[in-house]
Amino acid sequence: MVAVKLIPLLFSWFGIVLVLLRGFSGRRVPVAATGVVGFALGVVGAFALLRSYPGELSFGIVRGVVAGVFLLLWGTAVAALYRNTMREFHVFQGEKLVNASFYAVIFTCTTSIIAGAVCTCRLPVTGGTILALLLLVLAAGILVLAALAAEKMLPASLTVSQPALMAAVVALLLFSASSLIRLDLFSPLSMKVMKFAHDFVHQFFESMLIPDHLFIRTYLWGYIGLLFGNGVGFWGGMIIWFTPVVLILLSIRFELLPSVAHIRQGAKRRKLLAAAIRERRIRLVIPLLALLVFAAAAYRSSYPSVEYWDPTPVPVLASPAGEIVIPKQGEINLEDGKLHKYLYKQGGKEARFFVLLNPSGEFTVDLDACAICKPDGYGQAEGTVICYYCKTLIPLETVGKPGGCNPVPVPFTVKADGVHIDALTMINTWGNTVQATARIKEGGK
Amino acid sequence: MAPAIIETNGLTRSYGDICALKPLDLQVPEGEWLSVMGHSGSGKSTFMNLVGGLDRPTAGSLKVGGEDLLMLSEDGLARFRREFVGIIFQQHHLVPYLTAVENVMLAQYFHSVPDEAEARSALERVGLGHRLKNRPGELSGGEQQRVCIARAIINSPKLLLGDEPTGNLDHKSTVMVMELLKELRAEERFTVIMVTHNQEVATWGDRTIYLDDGVLVREERMRS
Repeated sequence: MVAVKLIPLLFSWFGIVLVLLRGFSGRRVPVAATGVVGFALGVVGAFALLRSYPGELSFGIVRGVVAGVFLLLWGTAVAALYRNTMREFHVFQGEKLVNASFYAVIFTCTTSIIAGAVCTCRLPVTGGTILALLLLVLAAGILVLAALAAEKMLPASLTVSQPALMAAVVALLLFSASSLIRLDLFSPLSMKVMKFAHDFVHQFFESMLIPDHLFIRTYLWGYIGLLFGNGVGFWGGMIIWFTPVVLILLSIRFELLPSVAHIRQGAKRRKLLAAAIRERRIRLVIPLLALLVFAAAAYRSSYPSVEYWDPTPVPVLASPAGEIVIPKQGEINLEDGKLHKYLYKQGGKEARFFVLLNPSGEFTVDLDACAICKPDGYGQAEGTVICYYCKTLIPLETVGKPGGCNPVPVPFTVKADGVHIDALTMINTWGNTVQATARIKEGGK
Repeated sequence: MAPAIIETNGLTRSYGDICALKPLDLQVPEGEWLSVMGHSGSGKSTFMNLVGGLDRPTAGSLKVGGEDLLMLSEDGLARFRREFVGIIFQQHHLVPYLTAVENVMLAQYFHSVPDEAEARSALERVGLGHRLKNRPGELSGGEQQRVCIARAIINSPKLLLGDEPTGNLDHKSTVMVMELLKELRAEERFTVIMVTHNQEVATWGDRTIYLDDGVLVREERMRS
C-alpha cells in the first residue's frame, strides 16, 4: 500500500532527474551520482528528523524547506523577467553562481535531498523501517539510471534555461509534497490569502471608522461578503501559485534575439533569426510543462487522495437527568484512537460533536466545528484532524485545546460506563459559538 | 573551370513503362547559365523537377551543391528546396488574394521569417516598386513574372530554375525579364537552369543542351 502511495512521488523524482540531466547536459554523470547521494541523504535526514521529533515539527521543517524553494522560484522568476525586459545588460550575483562549475552539483544535491525527504515523509508516521528506506533509495537509484537512458531519447533541440530548470524542479517537488496533507503548500496558501482578505477588509472598515450596519445596506454586504468566500482564497492562491512560472514564460518570450545587422545577405539574416525564434519557442516547453505540474499539484491539494476517517454522526439522546452518555465499548469502541461523531437534537436545535481518545490516552469531547469557520466539520488522517472548510491540520495532541481553528471543546466527565456530557451545555456551546459565527458570516443581520 | 554544382550519373526517371528521362550524365559548373531545349515530352521539365528536388529519380545519382538528393529524406528535400533553389514557373503560381509584396513575403515565411522591408526592396530591384500593393490579377504577365523572379531570388538561392518563364510573355516582356535575370545573376552569382522552347531565350545562356525523348542529343556552347 505504501509503495502505491509512493508511485507519484517516485514519478516526480524521475522527472526531476530527467530535467536536471538535460539542464546540466554537460555534467550528466556528476549530476546522476549527486542525485542518488542527495536523495539518500534526504531519506536518512528525514528519517532521523521524524524519529527525533515525531510530531508536527518534522513535517513543519520539511514543509518550510519546500516553501523556501517556492520563494526562491519567485525570486528567480522576477529576476529572469527583469533581466530580459530591461534594456541595460545586468548580471545578478545569482547568475554568476549559476555559471560556476560547482553549481550543477550543489543544485542537484539540494533538490535531491528535498525530494528524498518528501518521499520519506510519505512513509508511515515514524519514517518507516530501515528496509523500507533502503528500498526507497534503491528505487530512486534505478530511476536515475532510467532517466539517464530516457534523457538520451529526448530531442537534442529541447534545451532548458536555468529559470525553466528551477520552475520544473520546484513544480515537481510541490507535486510530491501535495500528496501529503502535512507537506502540502497550496491549501495553506489559499487559507492564508483568505484570512488576509478577511483581515484586510476588517481592518479597512475599522480604520475608516465605517460602522457595520448604520447606513450600509444589506445587499452591499452581500458583495463585500465575496471577500470572505472560499473563492478569494482559492483564486488568490492560484495567482501566487502560478505567477512565477508565468513570469518565467514571459521572460523567455521577451528574450532579445541575436543581433544580425552585420550580416549582409538577407536570407542568412532571416535564417539566423528564425533559428533563434525556434530555439526560444522550444525553451518554452519545459516551463509550460512545469505549469501543468503546478496545476496538477493544486488539483491534488484541492482534491487530496488521502482518505479521511469521517464517520456519519450517530444520533444520541439525553437521559432524563439531561446527560448524554456515550459508552466506551459497544457498537463503537471509543478507545480505538479514531474520532467518533454524534448528533444531539433538542427541540428545534441540534449539535454535532465528536469524542476522541488522543495519543496521550485522554478522552476529549469537541464540537464538530470551530469558532472561526463554517461548521463543515473535521476528518481524521495521518495523525491529524483536518478542518474541511479551511483545510487547517490540527495534530491529535492539540485536539481538545480551545482557540484558532481547533474544534471547540465541550466539558465532560469520564465514568466507568462511558463519557458523560451535559446535554444543555452541548446545545448552548453549539448555539453560542457555531451559530453565532454563521450569523456573522451571513452579513451580521 | 568552376566546380560542378550539379552532377548527374545515369540519372533516370520512369513513370511506369514510360521512361521520361533516360540515363543522363551531366555536369553543370557553378555560376553557369544552362538552357535546356527540346520538344514537348522530351524530358525537360522532368530534368528540372529532379534537379530542383521536386521529384525523385528512378535510378542513377544526382548531386546538387554537394548534396546527394537521393539520400535526403522528405524533410531534407524540403530544406534543400527552401534554402538552395529558386523556381520561376511559366504559370507564375502566385497566390491571387495576396499582394505582390505579400507573395514575396510568403517565400520568406516558408524559408525563415518574413521581412517586409527586404521583400519591398526585392520588388524594387525587379522594377515593381510602384506595384507593391497590387494583387496578381492587377498586374500584367511580365509584371507577374517579375514578382515571381523577386520571389525566387528573395532567399538567395544558389540555383535558379526557370520552367519556360517567358512562355506566356510577348517579345518586349521576354527581353525585359531576361535582362533582369542576367543582371541579377551577375550580382548574386547563382546558377541558372532555364527550360525553354524558345531558341532566342536559349541564347541568353552560356550553354544549351537539347533533349529528345529523354535523351541528351546535343550540346551547344554560346559565344560570350
